[in-house]
Amino acid sequence: MTQDPPAGSDADAPVIATNGLTRRFGPTITALDNLTMAVGPGITGLVGANGAGKSTLIKILLGLLPPTSGAASVLGLDTAARGERIRALTGYMPEHDCLPPDVTATEFVTHMGRMSGVPPTAAKERAAESLRHVGLYEERYRQIGTYSTGMKQRVKLAQALAGDPRLLLLDEPTNGLDPAGRTAMLDLISRIGGDFGISVVVSSHLLGEIEQICDHLIAIDAGRLLRSATMSSFTKVSQVLAIEVEEGADLLAAELAARELAPVQHGRELLVLITGDATFDVVRDAVAGLGLPLTRMEQRRHRVEELFRDPGEPAGRLTGAIDGR
Amino acid sequence: MAADNTAGAGLVAPGAGVIHDIGYQTYDGPRFGRGQIALALCWHSLRSAFGFGRGAKAKIVPVITFVIMCAPAVINAVVMALSKSHARVIDYDTYVGNLRVLVLLAFMAAQAPELVSRDLRSRVLPLYFARPIRREDYPLAKYAAFTLACLAMIDIPVLLLYVGTILQVHSGAAVWAQTRAAILGLLVGLMWAAVLAAVGLALACVSGRRAFSTGSVAIFLFLTWTLTNVLTKISEAGQRGGGGQITAGDQATSAAAHLFGLISPFTVLDGVRQWLGGTSQGIVADPGHYGFAYGLMLLVLLGGSLAVLVRRYAGASVA
Repeated sequence: MTQDPPAGSDADAPVIATNGLTRRFGPTITALDNLTMAVGPGITGLVGANGAGKSTLIKILLGLLPPTSGAASVLGLDTAARGERIRALTGYMPEHDCLPPDVTATEFVTHMGRMSGVPPTAAKERAAESLRHVGLYEERYRQIGTYSTGMKQRVKLAQALAGDPRLLLLDEPTNGLDPAGRTAMLDLISRIGGDFGISVVVSSHLLGEIEQICDHLIAIDAGRLLRSATMSSFTKVSQVLAIEVEEGADLLAAELAARELAPVQHGRELLVLITGDATFDVVRDAVAGLGLPLTRMEQRRHRVEELFRDPGEPAGRLTGAIDGR
Repeated sequence: MAADNTAGAGLVAPGAGVIHDIGYQTYDGPRFGRGQIALALCWHSLRSAFGFGRGAKAKIVPVITFVIMCAPAVINAVVMALSKSHARVIDYDTYVGNLRVLVLLAFMAAQAPELVSRDLRSRVLPLYFARPIRREDYPLAKYAAFTLACLAMIDIPVLLLYVGTILQVHSGAAVWAQTRAAILGLLVGLMWAAVLAAVGLALACVSGRRAFSTGSVAIFLFLTWTLTNVLTKISEAGQRGGGGQITAGDQATSAAAHLFGLISPFTVLDGVRQWLGGTSQGIVADPGHYGFAYGLMLLVLLGGSLAVLVRRYAGASVA
């Protein structure tokens, strides 16, 4: 029986905080590199390509792997010293399949609740509750092997909820789901993060999904924090104008360069910085002057994808320059 | 518990607002720590070793093997009752050794994978390791559970044998003698269970594929058992050819024959029993001066198997 001060009861305290978190494997591999960030309550998206350090971060947060240097805390508990308590209060949903096919969802979720430290009778109640919340109440006595992919994903979520966590770590929860299943899963996560009041960290490589449900977004790349910001700041209108012409892009680029707009070719598009309303006129005049067939001219929104653009790539530099303003 | 109640109330804070009443119930009760969770895992695994909490199919092998294990004890009781005899037909401490090695082997081959391979195959381990128990708790809880399962398979028949015998003896001295012998028999059973459970799980955890897992246990135990028997027979025959009749336990049993007994865990266990003073004739010749080798082999089997088992899970991935 663990007697502890309430975890995460301080509204200002971050749910997850890392400070100079570094983890090396051997002399050459650095999985996390001086990562300092804070995750508040609500739903936080964690984006990063494969090998960005997400797995290492999850292991450290669960107290399963000591950091090489730096520190991390979850629900106000130090990961190095209080791993057991953190794991009791955190629900984890792995990316891969993790369900035995030959037991019923009820039995499985009950057992997993017990493994989170919930006593037998309460574990049964919580299993029924969790399965109801994920929408599997009717089917809960069926063997998991008979479930569809979407239902299995729900069982994975239910087992994470079985221990009544204060924090949920969801690793690619929409993996393998069809569009309807994705929407349903995202709605569910949104409800858990909002209505249930459980903080959620959800990782995904599909940024479009994360955009829909997250309050906050954290991007890591090669073990470093790329960006941590609220969702709205990611998707605000940028100061980039994208111009697409049917032909003669080179001519237009030269013309725009001559007019001191320093265009950057990105795929079929030319990107220029918007310095004022005059920019639109200059571009219009340039296109008209060359007699080119203009297909599209639009002010770009920041897209979360831009976070991952190689800084060496021209558009990345342009974006970087704009972000720097 | 009071602290945990407030922890439940603290749920409001991470949401940074009000929890709308849509029916989500937080759990405010007590939470067990690592020790009790490991116990719960042990109990759950013990149940699954006999197919409880699974479909009817999962109970077939455990039930059949258990019945076969118990049959001699029941037959003994019936025979003693009918013949009004006071003499047991079977000894307590060699019950398993003499009669049911292969049945126990079948039980282990079928049920050890039930405990370890299923979790490996369905990749459920990350869910355990993301919970309060530590890496080593999982294999040790499984080991404790399988030891108890094997113990039930071995010692319940011994207890039945004891009860069946006791009903037919009437003098106090005889009851005491039976009781003493039965207790020693139960302890031998514990030794068997503790060693075989470790060996069985270590062999079963090599693979998540149930068939491979079962095969690994069955082939290893059966091959070593057969090898020991065949080699012993050959060496006995060789001695017989060169001289008089050799019986098991005879002082003249060759050094080679003793060493052959070290191949199979079953004969190692029986050798250790005799080395420690067990007198009834078992499945291997009395090791005599080679007793220490049997003792050493037993420790190597137990320690090695547990090391394999724990190490198997030390590197298991979570994320």
